[in-house]
Amino acid sequence: MNFRKTTAFFVAVITCLFFFGMTGAMAAEPYNLGVALGLTGAGALYSADGVEGIKLAVEEINAKGGLLGQHKIELFIRDSQTKPDVGVREVKDLILRDKIRAVINDYSSAVAMAVKPIAQEYKVLHIASISNSENITMINPSPYTFQVVPNSYMQAKAAAVAIAKMAKQKGWKEFITIASDYEWGRSTQASAVKFLKETSPDLTLKKEFWPRLGETQFTSYITGIMAMKPDFVLGSVASNDNVAWMEQAKNYGFFDKIPYPGSLITVTELMLQAKTLTRGIIALTRAPFFAHMDNPMMADFVKNYRAKYNKYPSDWAVLCYDAVYALKQGVEKAKTIDTEKVKDAMKGMTVDLTRGRLTFRTIDNQLSCSSYTGTIADDPRYPFPIYKDIIEIKGSESERPESEILAARKAK
Amino acid sequence: MDITSIFTQFLSGLTYGTILFLVAAGLSLIFGVMNILNFAHAALWLMGAYFSYTFWNLMQEYSFAFWLSIPLAGFAAAAVGWFLEVVLIKRIYKRELHEQLLITYSIALILSDTIKLTWGVTNKLIVRPEMLRKPVFIFGSPLDSYFILVILSGAAVAIGLWWFLKYTRYGHIVKAAVYSREMVAALGIPIPRIYTWVFTLGIFLAGFAGGIQAPIGSITLGMDNAIIIQAFCVVVIGGFGSLLGTLVGSLIVGEVMSFTILFWPEGAMVLIFVITAAILIVRPWGLFGTPMRT
Repeated sequence: MNFRKTTAFFVAVITCLFFFGMTGAMAAEPYNLGVALGLTGAGALYSADGVEGIKLAVEEINAKGGLLGQHKIELFIRDSQTKPDVGVREVKDLILRDKIRAVINDYSSAVAMAVKPIAQEYKVLHIASISNSENITMINPSPYTFQVVPNSYMQAKAAAVAIAKMAKQKGWKEFITIASDYEWGRSTQASAVKFLKETSPDLTLKKEFWPRLGETQFTSYITGIMAMKPDFVLGSVASNDNVAWMEQAKNYGFFDKIPYPGSLITVTELMLQAKTLTRGIIALTRAPFFAHMDNPMMADFVKNYRAKYNKYPSDWAVLCYDAVYALKQGVEKAKTIDTEKVKDAMKGMTVDLTRGRLTFRTIDNQLSCSSYTGTIADDPRYPFPIYKDIIEIKGSESERPESEILAARKAK
Repeated sequence: MDITSIFTQFLSGLTYGTILFLVAAGLSLIFGVMNILNFAHAALWLMGAYFSYTFWNLMQEYSFAFWLSIPLAGFAAAAVGWFLEVVLIKRIYKRELHEQLLITYSIALILSDTIKLTWGVTNKLIVRPEMLRKPVFIFGSPLDSYFILVILSGAAVAIGLWWFLKYTRYGHIVKAAVYSREMVAALGIPIPRIYTWVFTLGIFLAGFAGGIQAPIGSITLGMDNAIIIQAFCVVVIGGFGSLLGTLVGSLIVGEVMSFTILFWPEGAMVLIFVITAAILIVRPWGLFGTPMRT
């Protein structure tokens, strides 16, 4: 009897150990995180910084044991080539071959919109961290897609608020737009024009210019705009193209003759064109690190980023870093890495990021984050110019009203 | 629109046309003489831009760095071109055109990846000397001062090539090879060696054009994708193998782009393709090319 009891006891102990062991093994399951960004093509410049931000966040999280202290994050990085067909192919491959649970994607809004239904079909979280077309979250919303960057509507409204003030002061009447001819450029330009007409009804749009994505020669656009002598020009030129556009326009004396307010001049351009960028331009950006150095998370991020990469983080590094930390906090809230539960936990969730405490809107999973305008000026603390007199336009001030989102979805 | 604005737009078209001419001249020369449609031409042009950046970066502390980096880019690209010709291109002269296209396209892809591996994905920016950072005014029309250098370089290349083709023995051989390589070979002239040097010269022009392009904006991966299409339009319009045709074709494309952007911005590129298609239908050998070929 004793023998039977002893045997039963050992069997029970071994069984328990076995199951605990199994649980332990399951707890150590890695979290496969996909990254599909435009590492070549028009988005290469911004995407490379984004990957650096992601790698740093993953290293930090893994150093503390991973997600929930036990799920190490494994990164799978692919090049979407800034092309929708390639982006879809790569993300599908990440899902089927690498069994990713979430994907950070893309530089291009066109790619992000193409990837959105794929992520939804395979029930994979999709975090848009650089691409910011409003349509990524507004039209055909997916419960799996989240956006951590101020969208095109928010940015345009932020710019319009700043420009309307200037137009009133300076008596501006006519303006011209120049925007990259693709999803982001078109939607940003449309929103900006709409806001300007709302905030300053006296302003007239004289002409629209649409250089194709990947344009390297802006000369004819520059001289054409100068010939038309508008009161100011509104620009939404993308990434690499923006560098070429700004450089070439500057060498024509464009910015000395025509005000160019509210254009996207990110930290990337501030660093890359440190020697040549025209000072005094009033510009707009999405996530400048220097606007939040009072936030300990941002200060630590900048310190660690500089230590690792020997440079300051661009907006794209900040945004992609935040994307990983938003995901981390989603997992912590859900207390599991199960995608369905994380997705539900992230809906309407408030997260602590480098840009402060921010909330995902319930209606569209758009992070209610700020846009930033300011005047480009030198600062002795940095080897490149930064924004001075920064105006932070909060997400709550620049978001599209929910009623309009619902109406747009209904119309679709 | 006043006359100054029209003249300004003309100058823009002229600079754009010059840039296209610098790219297309080598492409046209190679096709005209060797009958090779080199799809990798723009990748070598881009490589020239990156070479220029590297030379400029290495010699930054010297005032001549900017000026010297441009011709050096041409020579560095020419070395790559020579290597490609000897190792690969030489073997495909007698292949069908579609096979040549596939092979040169493969070379373009290999070169693009080589560029990515060598120089990385980050944009490169060459800072111009102070004197080339300001606009100059010609009859009241603004012009980026660097474009004066671009236009002069284009003119120098055009005159240099014309002189080479018209007054040198090698130029005469090259011109003769455009019409009949068999006849040239029959005279005991070593065609393979001529081909190697023509290809190298064509790629030198591509690299030089890349060096000229580099300080205009930033140097980025993928820049070559758009320019190769426009360069093909130029040589189709002007006529493969014709230097004058390439020059005129470049100026047509540059000016049409420039003025269409002013009056019908959405249609600028479409109009170029319409003109190219029309030329292909009506005069397939181009405005200054010749249908004669044996």
